[in-house]
Amino acid sequence: MNKIQKIAIANRGEVAVRIIRACQELGLETVLLCSEADHTSMAARTADETFLIGGSPSSESYLNIENNIRGAIASGADAVHPGFGFLSENADFAKACENERLVFIGPSADSIRLFGDKISAKNLVEKIGGPLIPGYSGDDQSVEKITKEAERIGFPVIVKATAGGGGRGLKVARTSADLKNAVESAQREAGSAFGSSKIFLEKYLDSAKHIEVQIFGDASGKIHHLFERDCSVQRRHQKIIEEATSSLKRELSEKIVAAAVKIASAAKYRGAGTVEFLVQDNQFYFMEMNTRLQVEHPVTEMVMGVDLVKAQIMTAMGQALSWPDTMEPRGHAIECRLYAEDPFKGGIPSTGRLGFTHFPDGPFRRFDVGFEEGDEITAYYDPMIAKLIVWDETRIRAIQKMKRVLNDTIIFGVQTNIPLLKKIFSHPEFIDGSMTTQFFEKHFAKALDAQSLVNDDLKIAEELYRKVGEAKAGSSTGAASLPNPWFHSWEAN
Amino acid sequence: MGRYRVTHDGKEIEVVAQKLQGKLWFHLNGETFVYEPVSEKRQSKSSGTTNPELIEAPMPGKILRVEVKPGDTVKVGQVLIVMEAMKMEYSLAAAIDASIIEIGCKVGEQVKLGQMLVRLKG
Repeated sequence: MNKIQKIAIANRGEVAVRIIRACQELGLETVLLCSEADHTSMAARTADETFLIGGSPSSESYLNIENNIRGAIASGADAVHPGFGFLSENADFAKACENERLVFIGPSADSIRLFGDKISAKNLVEKIGGPLIPGYSGDDQSVEKITKEAERIGFPVIVKATAGGGGRGLKVARTSADLKNAVESAQREAGSAFGSSKIFLEKYLDSAKHIEVQIFGDASGKIHHLFERDCSVQRRHQKIIEEATSSLKRELSEKIVAAAVKIASAAKYRGAGTVEFLVQDNQFYFMEMNTRLQVEHPVTEMVMGVDLVKAQIMTAMGQALSWPDTMEPRGHAIECRLYAEDPFKGGIPSTGRLGFTHFPDGPFRRFDVGFEEGDEITAYYDPMIAKLIVWDETRIRAIQKMKRVLNDTIIFGVQTNIPLLKKIFSHPEFIDGSMTTQFFEKHFAKALDAQSLVNDDLKIAEELYRKVGEAKAGSSTGAASLPNPWFHSWEAN
Repeated sequence: MGRYRVTHDGKEIEVVAQKLQGKLWFHLNGETFVYEPVSEKRQSKSSGTTNPELIEAPMPGKILRVEVKPGDTVKVGQVLIVMEAMKMEYSLAAAIDASIIEIGCKVGEQVKLGQMLVRLKG
């Protein structure tokens, strides 16, 4: 059993706040390992202590292994929680923690390495008969052989250069008539671009859902699963909206969940992890396993009634979980990521100091917030301000609740993607649950039309502009700057 | 931040509003608006310039690539600078056929909003 009294958080923003709160509830001390840009952030204010680990660029701070290790040791922490992103899936960091007798709250360095390498991960999945995307990567590169293989795999197929990258030498063939041309031109392009004309085939998934399974290896070695999430709403492979569970038929989702458990068991996985699959035409294919807490973990927590961060900490301490042997999901949960970006300009980041913010509380609404009024959204890091999470008895009710939450959420000072999110939640393909990973590019590739202030709205704007005084620069306004009467009366006594 | 009573569609409603750096932010009917009177806009220094002979940073970020040097001639649409902000890459291209006069940044530099990056002559 590992004794843990003080946890260093090697992260920032909302996930740092999320982890700090879990620690505080468990009666553990916290120290935030933060960069210069973040030393007065909400996460820094929430933590018991902060320790400056370097400059604002992540390469000087959040991605610097040595600075994080030194910070954790110097502040007297006995464990490190890496959150997600940054060093959370860095095997060298996990190993460095181990060497310094710091408990790394996550899987072993070996597990991180195993799943971090695409080849070794696929080999493991293949060994246990897991579902890989069908393909052909043999040495016989004749068009006849490749056509035969393509027919076995089933059209459409994608032809890729073995030595490739960056989309070059990449062709999609939808029929065997297409294939000859696709193979020859891919071989030609690959030959001139990479010096090797070798190509391989893979089944092309043009209408797949992104389905992932939350798994958890407890301290006794048992692998639990907490059902699946649907994260098909993605922009350039970045998830925007996630839900638990999925709209897949129970029969199919059960098979997917079972495959995920098998993969995690084969790796003797410990802690929180997510096995990601692509699902199309009732078939599912292993994509990758993420060896960390995911951004979207709250939707699983909402439908399962668990706290994954506390489970991670308990497991790192070697303690048993209090989960029952069989768990069933209840209702439906949806999360959306609130980004500081301008939806009227195609989503370019919108940096600046946050003005007034308001998150409309209510039953089964959860706001994982990383920044408050007065905090700065800088260009150094990911522009996520907060995550909005709702739960309701059914999916359609959860969508209705989220739309209401998006209407009533207020962020001043930076533009946000709220107008875009509202459009997504009203889209028929989202509402009927059929959206695939192509959904965003298909329907939302263009910037939203600019807002227009006309008639009554314009009059109101003009009237308010005259009425409203300028907020004091650099200081937070509103409730936070009001004198606290309790403090003063305490002093007076 | 303040709450204000206004009349909208003949009904009196409450609106949350705040003025930040000369711009009015307000939340009306589930939508957040930013408003700045036209007269103020003209006076305030705009970062998004329409002068095609001047390329300024449209947002704070890091310069990844500088594709040109002073003396080069460039065509409309040719990429001059590639910058990164918040994990995304943005290309800044020439809006006119021109020659490069001056470069105001270097690779790896963290640039401020509105910083001069490239000066051109059409």
